Amino acid sequence: MELDAQLVQRCLRGDGPAWEELVRRHTRRIFNICYRFTSNPTEAEDLSQEVFLRIYRTLPSYRPSDGAFPTWLTTVTRNLLVDHYRRTRHDRLTDSIDEATAQLEARPAPARTPDRLAQAAELSMHLQRALSRLSPELREAVILRDLQSLEYAEIQVVLQVPEGTVKSRINRGRIELARILQEMGIRPD
Amino acid sequence: MDWTCTLAEERVSEFLEGQLAPSEAAAFSAHIDACGKCGELVARVGHLMSQMHALHPVEVPSGLEARIVEATLGRRSRRWFAWVPLLWQPRFAMGIATVALCCVVVVQAGGVTPGKLRRVDLNPVSMLRNVNRQAHLTYARGVKFVNDLRVVYEIQSRLEPTPSAEENPPRQKQQESKPNPNYPQQKSETHPGRPHNAGGALFASLLASGSLESPR
Repeated sequence: MELDAQLVQRCLRGDGPAWEELVRRHTRRIFNICYRFTSNPTEAEDLSQEVFLRIYRTLPSYRPSDGAFPTWLTTVTRNLLVDHYRRTRHDRLTDSIDEATAQLEARPAPARTPDRLAQAAELSMHLQRALSRLSPELREAVILRDLQSLEYAEIQVVLQVPEGTVKSRINRGRIELARILQEMGIRPD
Repeated sequence: MDWTCTLAEERVSEFLEGQLAPSEAAAFSAHIDACGKCGELVARVGHLMSQMHALHPVEVPSGLEARIVEATLGRRSRRWFAWVPLLWQPRFAMGIATVALCCVVVVQAGGVTPGKLRRVDLNPVSMLRNVNRQAHLTYARGVKFVNDLRVVYEIQSRLEPTPSAEENPPRQKQQESKPNPNYPQQKSETHPGRPHNAGGALFASLLASGSLESPR
């Protein structure tokens, strides 16, 4: 499989299929980050598109020496999410989970029985509801660590804060999330 | 190290991820065993982490990738034959090859010459007649081939050297006494001075039975 850096070089030479391959590889991850942050599938779609548009326009500025392509992509995504959050915070109802979100959570995944699907969907909705009540700084740290499985060093690059701050935000985010779930009456079993 | 509840709360994630030094981890464990509140906190956070790690990614809405590509590359950048590589995948290639082979067989059987295609060649009735004629011809050739094979086998078996009289005396006498009903009896019409022609007699017998077409 071709490396991301090689695909980027091909894109810069005008190779359309190389760009399509990059989009195919990373859309799912970017969409998940946007969705987990916004709790809104429609906004997540628009933001994902915006991320790739921004990446496409600034692709010549990417240098492999600055870091891995996925890390750069995640950084751009995070910056866009923060900008979006600041623009729309007055219009937000953080406690509401609309019908589209419920349908997205209930979408079947392969190799899961109906019971497990229902449990997973319910758990996902509860977690998403709790995540939406976290502050943006704690929310993005928890999403990157626990949902995207990024290393502390990578999260440090994405958030552009020291590693100690990253660990502190992740810890506080987890504790806050557990407290919110307890308030919602979700038992840990 | 003396752990307080405040300190334990600040480092609970490090404990759960195994990042504490062994001595620190042991002291931490002792503290949460003794302190019910911290023990409950560690249990809740630990369970939350395992739940989040077990969460499956949500599926991407259909068409999102295509919309992203269209928004970036634009419609005019896509070549009209860009869909061809999509068809040439293993799941489509076998089906396409089978359909193409069937079309070639049908065209050949229908007697259609692609280089000299005429309008009348595409008439379904004429195509059906050609296919029918071709099928009968193929069947007749197959039957003739099998019959010719049988004749060749019989000739070969007749021309093989017969076993000597000392090796199989009883069988020879039996064969002489019992005439073979499959072959018509040939009276020796040869001149007493001439040797008996076995191959010619066999050829004549086969002609008479209709297995071979008489040469013209």
